[in-house]
Amino acid sequence: MRFLVVEDDIAIQGFLARALAEAGYQVDTASDARTGELKALEGIHDAFIIDLGLPDMDGLDLIIRWRSQGISAPVLILSARRSVDERVRGLEQGGDDYLTKPFALAELLARLRNLLRRSSTSQTDPLRLQAADLQIDLVRHEARRGDHLLQLTPQEFALLEYLCRNAGRVVTRTMILDHVWRMRIDPATNVVDVHIYRLRSKVDQNALIPLIHTIRGVGYVLKNA
Amino acid sequence: MPKFLRATAAWRISIWTSLAFALGTALAFSIVYLVVAKAMQEHSDAWLSGEADVLARVSDDTPRDRLYNRVVGEVAELAAQELPDERNARGQRLNSVFFLELDPGGGQGSLWVGPGSKEPFQRAIDGATLAPDQPQSISVAGWPTTFRVVAHHDNGRTIYLGLSNRGTRFLLRKLTGRFLLLWGATVLMGFLVAYWSTRRTLLRVQSITDTVARLGSGDLAERLPEPVNADEISRLAQTFNHMLDRIQSSVNELRSVTDAVAHDLKSPVTSIRAALESALSNEPSEHSRDALCEAIEGLDRLLVLLNTTLDVAEAQAGALRLDRESVDLSGAIRQIIDLYQPALDQKQHTIELDLEDGVFIEADCHLMNRALTNLIENELAHLPAACRIAIRLSSKDGSAALTIQDNGPGFPPDIGARALERFVRGKHSQGHGLGLAFVDAVVRAHGGSARIGSGPSGGAVVSLSLPAKALQAAVR
Repeated sequence: MRFLVVEDDIAIQGFLARALAEAGYQVDTASDARTGELKALEGIHDAFIIDLGLPDMDGLDLIIRWRSQGISAPVLILSARRSVDERVRGLEQGGDDYLTKPFALAELLARLRNLLRRSSTSQTDPLRLQAADLQIDLVRHEARRGDHLLQLTPQEFALLEYLCRNAGRVVTRTMILDHVWRMRIDPATNVVDVHIYRLRSKVDQNALIPLIHTIRGVGYVLKNA
Repeated sequence: MPKFLRATAAWRISIWTSLAFALGTALAFSIVYLVVAKAMQEHSDAWLSGEADVLARVSDDTPRDRLYNRVVGEVAELAAQELPDERNARGQRLNSVFFLELDPGGGQGSLWVGPGSKEPFQRAIDGATLAPDQPQSISVAGWPTTFRVVAHHDNGRTIYLGLSNRGTRFLLRKLTGRFLLLWGATVLMGFLVAYWSTRRTLLRVQSITDTVARLGSGDLAERLPEPVNADEISRLAQTFNHMLDRIQSSVNELRSVTDAVAHDLKSPVTSIRAALESALSNEPSEHSRDALCEAIEGLDRLLVLLNTTLDVAEAQAGALRLDRESVDLSGAIRQIIDLYQPALDQKQHTIELDLEDGVFIEADCHLMNRALTNLIENELAHLPAACRIAIRLSSKDGSAALTIQDNGPGFPPDIGARALERFVRGKHSQGHGLGLAFVDAVVRAHGGSARIGSGPSGGAVVSLSLPAKALQAAVR
């Protein structure tokens, strides 16, 4: 997997390159739209990460231009603007995604994976999810820990399903709110933590190995020890 | 009369102008009527006096013999025929004239020339006191109209000459009838013309109102059409357009400033956050791990504060960018309660929902969600444990009313109505004083209003009013 990062802020560009390399991806970088376009035209990238406020061009115009030139890999837009432009939301429906600065690296990686999964058509939705001795039957809406059937409310089930789909990867509170409740809000209270706490009491209470872990400052992860 | 018609200014203006026009013309006609009536009476009085003189002279000159009655009678008949021969539809003469000569001392008795028998006339004359040579109106039994009668005393005899007012009355009636017909027609015409022209003018004002209302806080690029003729309304449109130019430029300026602030602060924060995160992933010691986590959490709170501050500033300046779509309010509230239920349970609060379904508003979904969550977070932050929170949603006359009421301690008295202002918070509050200011700003940006108060038994009440969409029949 090879990504192209088009970002004029050298500090952000640097840590993005490092973080993506650490996650096992190959990374190219560009500091302005012109250089970015030259690199993109090579046609070797699986996804682009583009900042909206580039010095020589608006990031959105750049994407529209690339699309007209046949460059079709998915794009993750980085925006420092507060309100998200309608045009950006439009791109989201077109298979691309956006992320507002500042962001957690975990969220950036999760969104990138999501983009790549959406763009590869071979992927089919699974009917069952499994992590350690946790089994989720998506058809019958049942979750089991070993032989024990978990009594979950619909929202607890949706939360567990989301954590399990991202098993082994960190998810942030923002991602949970966005995906489980379809809300992009910044709560000042610990509303997500309370949900996790409840879920954990049902999933991990009678088990030897806890599955749901808190990563302070980042979010949560469902993993085997 | 349809209600929508009564509500228009065009209708009221035309009604009042037509009323004034009708009164004015009616007054003018009354004056004309009086003048004509007087002139006609003077005319008939002059005729009466003249003829009475003539008849008196004829009576003096005629010897009192057998032919006297015939001669005077003929003259009186001829006098009556001098009048224009006005007849009604049945062929009756309208100007009925009578002549009565009383000769108290003479052997002839009296001479009567006139319609019908003389008795009712004589009784009427005896009943009235007639000054000599002064025409006067008297009514006669059996006759619908009065008679104008003049008395002439001469040589011991008295001559009465009378002329029915029927002709005068008929003429005046005809005049009044014609007037009423014409009057009605012109008033109606005047009303229609006034209504049509004011309606046309006011429709232009209405289109200005519609355009300005549509502008709202969203797209400020639209402008009113400016017609070529420079009348008052075109000038109104021009003034509005100039005002919109100014508002648009200041809004754009504010947006670029807030965007610049946001951008300039967020880029370094992004780098700092990334650095902290990568330090966190390198297995630090327990102590530095805590410090790193606290730094990251602090940064996140700082960002939320920054975003909300800028949002409130933009919203209060009417510069918030709204991405409007149809939002089902009861659905949105249920979803948020769904999210907050465990947090509310944890503090043992009970929630009472009384939500009317099918209340839709045209709103920016993300902003509205944030405003509504702010309200719930406000309750979570300020209520002591185990309180009751009632959320009611109803719609009436095209506006949605949402109230959130609790039985907690209520707003601190030192805050009072200023709770909706920026950075106003209670002494013991942990917040920044932005939550309710944000709610107020978002609701205003959507054309609604927010109010705070206290319930009948204490506790805080926040009421929002938002313009609702017409009920969608298909959805119900």
